[in-house]
Amino acid sequence: MGHEVGIVGVGQTHHARRRTDVSQAGLVREAVDRALADAKLSMDDIDTVVIATGPVLFAAVNQPEKWVVDAIGAQGKSVVRLTSGGGAGFAGALAGYYQVAGGYSDRTLVVAYDKLSEGQLQYSISTLYDPFWGREFAVGIMGFSAAYWRARMDVLGHTEEAAAMVAAKNRTNAIANPYAHVKKEVSVEDVLNSRPLCWPIKLLDVPPISDGAAAIVLSNEKKAHHSTSTPAWIRGIAYCCEADNAPERSLMLSEPLAIASKKVYRSAGITNPRRQFDVVEVQEPYSCFELNYYESLGLCPPGQAADLVASGATQLDGDIPVNPSGGCMGANPIGAVGVIRLIEAATQIMGRNESHQIKDAKTALVQSGGGWANLRGCAVLSA
Amino acid sequence: MFAPPEAHPLDMETFHSQISMPYTLTPGRAAGTFLAEMPNRRIVGSRFPDGTVVAPAQDFSSTDGEEPEELVQVPETGELTAFTRVDGNVIGLIRLDGCANDFAHRILADLGDLSVGMRVAAKWDDTDETSIMAISGFVPDADAPVGEVKGLVGPAEPLGVIDYSMSLDYQHSYGPYYGRMFDEIREHGRVMGVRTSSGDDALLPPREVDDVTHKRTGTWKACADTGTIRACSIINMEFFGLTREVPYVYAEVVLDGASTRMIHVIEIDDLETAKKNIKPGTRVRAIWTDGERKGRVSDIERFEVIED
Repeated sequence: MGHEVGIVGVGQTHHARRRTDVSQAGLVREAVDRALADAKLSMDDIDTVVIATGPVLFAAVNQPEKWVVDAIGAQGKSVVRLTSGGGAGFAGALAGYYQVAGGYSDRTLVVAYDKLSEGQLQYSISTLYDPFWGREFAVGIMGFSAAYWRARMDVLGHTEEAAAMVAAKNRTNAIANPYAHVKKEVSVEDVLNSRPLCWPIKLLDVPPISDGAAAIVLSNEKKAHHSTSTPAWIRGIAYCCEADNAPERSLMLSEPLAIASKKVYRSAGITNPRRQFDVVEVQEPYSCFELNYYESLGLCPPGQAADLVASGATQLDGDIPVNPSGGCMGANPIGAVGVIRLIEAATQIMGRNESHQIKDAKTALVQSGGGWANLRGCAVLSA
Repeated sequence: MFAPPEAHPLDMETFHSQISMPYTLTPGRAAGTFLAEMPNRRIVGSRFPDGTVVAPAQDFSSTDGEEPEELVQVPETGELTAFTRVDGNVIGLIRLDGCANDFAHRILADLGDLSVGMRVAAKWDDTDETSIMAISGFVPDADAPVGEVKGLVGPAEPLGVIDYSMSLDYQHSYGPYYGRMFDEIREHGRVMGVRTSSGDDALLPPREVDDVTHKRTGTWKACADTGTIRACSIINMEFFGLTREVPYVYAEVVLDGASTRMIHVIEIDDLETAKKNIKPGTRVRAIWTDGERKGRVSDIERFEVIED
């Protein structure tokens, strides 16, 4: 095993539906300035940089890293740009982790962003469909996700009520998050009565479309103390995928997430996730996704996610709070979300979370990914 | 894994697809001010803390990432530093007086009359467009005096958003597997897949290698026009790129004889009835077009529920 890797500085923008005052590059700059200041570092102290975004079709700038490098003063550094759909930010963090763990960098800056106000979100995602076989009838990620949620209802009992509980919980939690831009308390009934967009997905099951960026500084154990006395150490991190249209692909459980969590739990010494985690941050592009994560991450057995959310265990005051930040329901700049979830979990471990500090949080679980089930990752952070 | 066929490349028919959509791009403060000032016939640049001036104005220095101390008005005269001809237009790089970078624009002169180092001056168009094309181009002007960078008095509000659109055309190659499948759809109105490496179920779309066993797939097989819904949702929201009127059902159908899904649509009268009648497990039938088949999935117009 290589070096220990810790998150020693974090920064995110105040996310918004549309930022007309800054360009994509300016948005990235804000998050980087905040993360470097938080880590008590300047760009000179950074060895390598990873820039992560969603598909370029989201905002029509190809090779945006060329623009971003100017904006963050990373000229002359090792810069890698990475994209992996919804999980882009998390995949970026994984790439940064490898650089530091492998000893190729003492400190790596990972910055992730999307400026979704600029393009056509669902249509852009429809271009991920096979152009020959399906794109003519593509409905972005929303129609597709709704279809498989409908299938899970029959097999796993992921009811509209259970998803509405997730939406109501996360939306209520987001009110205290200074970086969120959707802050309105909604009830389970409000969600159930909201307009069907791609039924069973309804308006309040859907997070906002956001402009935002998020950055973290990763450091090895030798340099971490320059930035903080309480790094959030990454005890395990993995990101797995599956074939797109293979015969045995059920899409009921997320097999890649189950594989990733197994790997990560082994390296982090997690044998009882429900007991051992103090707090969990997940990327829920629609409320129904969170139910699947409970099962694939082993917080409950398959088929019991609806019971878990109904029990209140994942509420702020439950025994395993999920998304005290409000998750994607407060802000959803897709490419940045993987890093935002890491930030929210890291600050919990550091004891300085701005949304809802979970008392004595020592061990956190982070999940992120793209697509309905096919690209999924998770990480364990601890003090 | 498998040797390529012993054949020379053939010029085959391709599958056309287009990705086309509108954008609202954000230039940011500096470029937004530059664009807003174009109809006022002022070229806006950025002056950075190290004293360098660049135009068009930029929010961040490309040498060290610093933000500009101020936005400035730069001269509309300069020196030609490079030029070429593209699509009948002469394009040049111009070092505007007092600037540290080159400004790219059209040069309104014949290529043969140009030389590097030549003095040039902007020729403004009569327009109120907030675009760099408010300058029609630069013209050779041997006597143009050397201008000076000035403070920008009363700058215009930066443009927040710029409308933009992108349209990308692709010609995809079918390859032998998709090629045969779409030939069969066009010529015979039937959907054919290939068997998995070890079973009788067909993979749709057909492919060379079985994703599960990683062995070569089996022989070709026609699937039925009937099938079972594996997953479905009711599209009730209009968004850019939709080709059908809402509400309708988006369905992933496994055709009888196949083991993988096909994406299609089912027309419905209303949402509430569809919730009850169309669900995973519902039996459906493909309705082929009455018109000429083109060799696309959309030669099947829609699926219909098979009534008991």
